[in-house]
Amino acid sequence: MEFWLVTNNEKVNDAYADKCDVLFVDGTDRDVMKTIRDLVHEGHSLLTHPLSGSLKPGETPFRSVLVDKSKNETVDPFSLDLIETCIQALQKFRVRYEGLSERKLEDFRHVDLSIIESAIPTAMADRTRVVGVDRNGA
Amino acid sequence: MRLELGNIDIKEIRFADKSEIKDGVLYVNQEEVIAQVLEDDLIRDAHLEIAVPGESVRITPVKDVIQPRVKVEGPGGMFPGVISKVDTVGTGKTNVLRGMAVVTCGRIVGFQEGIIDMTGPGAEYTPFSELNNLVLVVEPEDGWKPHDYERAARVAGLKVATYIGELARDLTPDETVVYERANLRESFENYPDLPRVGYVLMLQTQGLLHDTYVYGVDAKQTLTTMISPTEIMDGAIVSGNCVSACDKNTTYHHQNNPVIEDLFKAHGKTLNFVGVIITNENVYLADKMRSSDWSAKLAEYLSLDGVIISQEGFGNPDTDLIMNCKKIEEKGIKTVIITDEYAGQDGKSQSLADADPLADAVITGGNANEVVILPPMERIIGTTDFVDKIAGGHDGSLREDGSIEAELQIITGSTNEMGFNKLSAR
Repeated sequence: MEFWLVTNNEKVNDAYADKCDVLFVDGTDRDVMKTIRDLVHEGHSLLTHPLSGSLKPGETPFRSVLVDKSKNETVDPFSLDLIETCIQALQKFRVRYEGLSERKLEDFRHVDLSIIESAIPTAMADRTRVVGVDRNGA
Repeated sequence: MRLELGNIDIKEIRFADKSEIKDGVLYVNQEEVIAQVLEDDLIRDAHLEIAVPGESVRITPVKDVIQPRVKVEGPGGMFPGVISKVDTVGTGKTNVLRGMAVVTCGRIVGFQEGIIDMTGPGAEYTPFSELNNLVLVVEPEDGWKPHDYERAARVAGLKVATYIGELARDLTPDETVVYERANLRESFENYPDLPRVGYVLMLQTQGLLHDTYVYGVDAKQTLTTMISPTEIMDGAIVSGNCVSACDKNTTYHHQNNPVIEDLFKAHGKTLNFVGVIITNENVYLADKMRSSDWSAKLAEYLSLDGVIISQEGFGNPDTDLIMNCKKIEEKGIKTVIITDEYAGQDGKSQSLADADPLADAVITGGNANEVVILPPMERIIGTTDFVDKIAGGHDGSLREDGSIEAELQIITGSTNEMGFNKLSAR
């Protein structure tokens, strides 16, 4: 499975930049969500859930999501529904992470890394190939 | 399978020169306990404290709550695959120290872990305020990764609970409760006219601070499977989960799962309790699909008429919950889901991050966004350094006088999704 690792977490970028294709977003968790939403609108499917574990929206500034590089001819309805619901969920919670100390930020980076680490080996081992997909797309 | 639980009531905990249980009092030799905990190189320092119901004490950050138990008869030992060998547990006799718990407390990564107040308004939201708590406070050695340290703290709590449970091996229980289940064929023959009901127990499995272990195996690496409810009572499922305080299932919750307890009570009367299906809550979407497909396949294979599904956590697991519910309903099996809500501080927002019209029977553990004010306590066990970081806490939530303004999600077990809590609505 060829995938993008979309993240705004430097620690994830450092750990995976040479192992897979990282799309680093220099911005907030909301910016990551918007990047993912745009990819879904272009026909890509989500491989991981955009809400991170049971960390509450607005609690952690970091977000890492895997997106399938192969492009569907039409928008994947499941991915579209999921990303829209997640963005709504995010908007429901107020941002709590502003002004966090470096030590607290480092903890959040570490947990975000750990959550996405649990999915990357599965994505790398995933041999699913969907007929009709344009592998050179995007 | 037949398991007898012998309840031994613990009315008080005291430190003493010799560890023993006499007349409902647990005497603990602190040095002996701590020596076991410090065998692990990752733990720099540890000590015990006692917290009694009604006392002005705040325990935070809480990692796990564990009920000491000991296997008296039958194969295996407590917490198989972690503390004892992996022999299958769930039959014979087990002694249970009722009215007390071992609470592990200390820094893992500093947030996510909850609060137990032993008195005041916060105490009313957590069932653990009613227990005599032996609190193990652990300090990590510097330089280790949080993963390693989480494991060390998890195992330390289980070790202490096993040590305390062992003291009850030769005691006569105050009360014995028998849990017995026939095999599938016999149960169908015994109760041909009763609805066949199963329980899908969802386990949080998403990475550091989010893990659950079944017979020592990280449940994120398993397929949906079946387990006997009495195996769970013998500690086959332990929590490695630190998120989030209000709706994580501690090891104590697993040992005392109220859904299982109630299904046993109704078994043979109003329903036929057929079995427990355990499934995970992974990050990878294909895993979610596979695991929920498997829940539905097993429910159908067991010829169930109804299923109760309990969730753990919030957000990402809402998708697993709805997938389980929808796929089981589509097999023609009725479901009831147990969840909790993040409906905003005013309670007006949509409660879950996912939904489906087939999820038409829902039990809620409460709104985790509800704001609570916890007055200062005279004694703090652990540290409040992390209160601002705990889910539901925010900068400024720890006030100068020691009181805390935060959302309900800060309190351990307050909106538990097995229904092991005290919130209700009229």
